Formats: sequence, structure tokens, C-alpha cells
Amino acid sequence: MSTDTAFFSVDRVSHAYEDGAAVLRAIDWSIPAGAFHCLVGRSGCGKTTLLKLVAGLVQATEGGVRIEGQAIQGPSPKVGFVFQTPALLEWLSVIDNVLLPISLHRRVQVADRGTAAELLELVGIADLAKRHPGQLSGGQQSRAALARALVTSPPALLMDEPFAALDAITREELQDDLLRLVALRRTTVLFVTHDIAEAVYLGDRVAVMDQGKIALTASIDLAKPRVCDCRYDPHFTAHCQKIRSAMTLHTVELD
Amino acid sequence: MQRRLPSLALLLALLAGWEAVVRLAGISALVIPAPSAVFAVLWSGLVTPGFLWQHIWVTGAETLLGFALGCSIGFVCGLVLGEVEPLRRLLWPYVLATQVVPKLALGPIFIIWFGFGMTSTVVITALICFFPLLENTMTGLQAATPEKRDLFRMLGARQWQTLLRLKIPSGLPVIMAGVRIAIVLALVGAVVGEFIGGSEGLGASIIAAQGMMDSTLMFALFIAIAAMGLLFYQLTLIIERWLLRGWLKGTIT
Repeated sequence: MSTDTAFFSVDRVSHAYEDGAAVLRAIDWSIPAGAFHCLVGRSGCGKTTLLKLVAGLVQATEGGVRIEGQAIQGPSPKVGFVFQTPALLEWLSVIDNVLLPISLHRRVQVADRGTAAELLELVGIADLAKRHPGQLSGGQQSRAALARALVTSPPALLMDEPFAALDAITREELQDDLLRLVALRRTTVLFVTHDIAEAVYLGDRVAVMDQGKIALTASIDLAKPRVCDCRYDPHFTAHCQKIRSAMTLHTVELD
Repeated sequence: MQRRLPSLALLLALLAGWEAVVRLAGISALVIPAPSAVFAVLWSGLVTPGFLWQHIWVTGAETLLGFALGCSIGFVCGLVLGEVEPLRRLLWPYVLATQVVPKLALGPIFIIWFGFGMTSTVVITALICFFPLLENTMTGLQAATPEKRDLFRMLGARQWQTLLRLKIPSGLPVIMAGVRIAIVLALVGAVVGEFIGGSEGLGASIIAAQGMMDSTLMFALFIAIAAMGLLFYQLTLIIERWLLRGWLKGTIT
């Protein structure tokens, strides 16, 4: 794949903790603009570290990340980040939380409030705009966090197991909403999860990370837009099985 | 109100019991004055001729001045030490060491420096209020989760924005707990400060009453001080509720 069309390019990135223990070993990866890539792996395999490196929150020990061909120095305004927890500010209303990325840089205008209200409509919590995060369910909080990440219309989203804490039905709803939203805006997404089925359902391409290396990458050729039924398709199951087997190839050494 | 009735009834029963014991056993007013005598003194102090108001005003002013001074300085120092890591490492041992010095023991030296009267008492009060705010502000600033800090970094927030819009609001419940501790200590500081170096105020009046062996007046002064403490504490609670209104909304569903 030519790196010219890539939105994110990860070039031979290695990362080690301060004590020298390697977390990532020479990762190469490129994500074309508009693509939805998923990264699966067990806890502690380095997937969150890779995501933070791409976000510019963590500096690579070796190698580098480029966004649209330009080496990153730190967090980029072109990239929105959705965390494992919703990370909403408890003292602000939902709408003010969604407007935070704007209000940090300039005065919020009427048009911005319109954009935020529209986004809340799209994620299905328009009627909760005036509420405070503590009054929302976990799923509603995740929806608010998604709206916040999208309010500046960033061309790319990085997502760190954003739905891991939700119940199965709410998770499926949010997955569908996410797919709809990013398809609408042609957003480039890198989505980290430990859930194989989630990765296969969401991704155009799924990479498996194991002990700091990419153990497998697979294109998911399921029809889009994906609907709930495709989870029970034999083809879907086959993809899951293939990824599952890549995750167990290397046994974890205990010492 | 309904729920408070039993407490009120208990208070009245206790006062009646106290009055009865003092009268029947013939205990000297020097040891334990009867409640009726205490209230009579309180009445003359507050209504006619109202000699207590001057002292209430002085102690109230000292308490609030010292509280405001100590809290603001403690808060600002907490912000600086909380934000500037090298400074924290340099100064923290000293902060800890000065924490354990009994501040009231410094009273006599303040009298040498600032003279008798209000200034010394305000300084002691401020010093007492300083530490809870310093410590709670520093602790409060650490309250924001790493994810929220990363969020602010992702959003390109500057350090002062992260401080003002994330760290201070996140730490506000802890900081306000420090303010609540400070207001209680402030009154103690003002009263004891007056013991040492005051000529006016409720604390100075207690010492004067002691000199006159007037236990009844001392009890009346205790009540006045306690009422003042309750009032200040309630005011702090109201301010806290107002400041934390956004937080509280989340808990009432």
C-alpha cells in the first residue's frame, strides 16, 4: 500500500518502558483515509500504547508516526480520541461537555451549539443535553463522549475500547451508531478492542497484536453497511476463528 | 422540622435536668451556673444593654479576616506547589515539618512582632487556616483521572487551561472539605489568639470573666462562640453547595 494515500502511517515504531522492557517492536502500519481499522489483542499486549503513540500522547522510542505525510510532534487537532471511560466532566452539562473541544480554543457561538445539538441528535441523546453526566446511564455517557470527539469534525478518530464496559445490547447499538456516523463523515478510524467479534463487525481490516508485534492482519470482506444479522453469518464466524487462532499462536511465557 | 423535634425535646429535657440538679443540690454558681442564670446573662449581653455585640463583632471580624487570608494564601500556595513539581520536591519536607508545629504556640512571638490586638490574632488565625487549604488543594489537583488529563492534552489545552478547567473543578470537593475544616479552626484560632493577646473579643472576655470568677458569664460566652461557629459552618456549607451545584446535579436523579 502506498503511503501517499495513507492518513496514518506508522513507520517501524518501537517503544520501551523506562526500565527497558519492550512494549512495541518495529510496528509498521498504514491506515488509508476513510478506512476503519481495528486492533485486537489481550490485555497488556501493547495495543493501547500503540494507540497513544498514534495520538501523539506517547513518544516512540524508535521510529515515528505520520499523519497525512507529516511527522507528528504531539496531539493533532485532526484527531479525536475516545477513551475507555467516557471521561466526561461531571460539573458540566452534556451539551457543555460536547462543546469542550471548541470552548477550550475560542468562544462558543450559536452555530457551534447547533452542531453540538445535531450531534446529540445523531447519537440519540438530544433530550439529555441539559442533564449532567451523573444523571446518565453508561451507554448514554459513551454516546456523549462520542459526540464530544466528533464535534470539531476531525478527519480521524482513535478509540480505546470505548464500549468495553457496556452490556451486550447497548454495545451493539453503539457499534451500529458509530458505523453510521463515521460512514456519513468518511472518518478514518483506528479502533482498539479486546473483543474479536466487535473488531470483525466494525473493521474493514483487523490486526492482531501479540507481545508487541502485529501477529496477523486480515481484510474483512463482509458487505457494508453491516447489519446485526451478519454476526451470525458463517463467513463472520470464520473471520473470528482465524483471528482467534492468531491470538493463541504465541503462548505467554510465565516467569 | 418534624425530624428535629426529638432533638429539640432532648435539649429542653437536658436543660431542665441541669437546672433541677443545680437548684436541688445547691451547687455553687462558680462551679456550674444554672441555665436560667446563663440565659439571663446572655439576654443582657445581647439585648439590653447588649455589651456582647462589640466582642462578637471583633471575634467575627478576626475569624473571617484570618480565614479569608489563610484560605487564599493556602489555596494559591497549593496551586503553585501542586503544579510545579521541582518546587514541591524542594519544599514539601518543610511544609510537613511546619504542619506539626502547634500554631497556637507561636502566639507569644506574634505578639512581639505585631503587638497586642487584632493583628496578632488575625495572623494566628490565618496561619491555622493556611495548612488545610494548602494540603487539600494539592491533593485536590491530583483528583483528575489520567484519562481526563490525556483528553485535555488531546484537545490541545494549555497548562493554565488544564488547571482552571480540569484540575481545580475536579479537586473542588476536596478543596471545599479543606475550607470546612478551616472555618472551624479559624474560630478556635481567633478565640485562643485572644486568650493570649487580645483586649477585646469573646476570647478576651472569657479571660476577663475568669479573672472575675464569673462562671455564668463564661458559659454565656461559650454559647455565643458556639452559635457563631454554627453560623459560619452553615454559611460555608451554603457556599460549598453553590460552588458544587454542577457536581450535585449528577447525584440527584
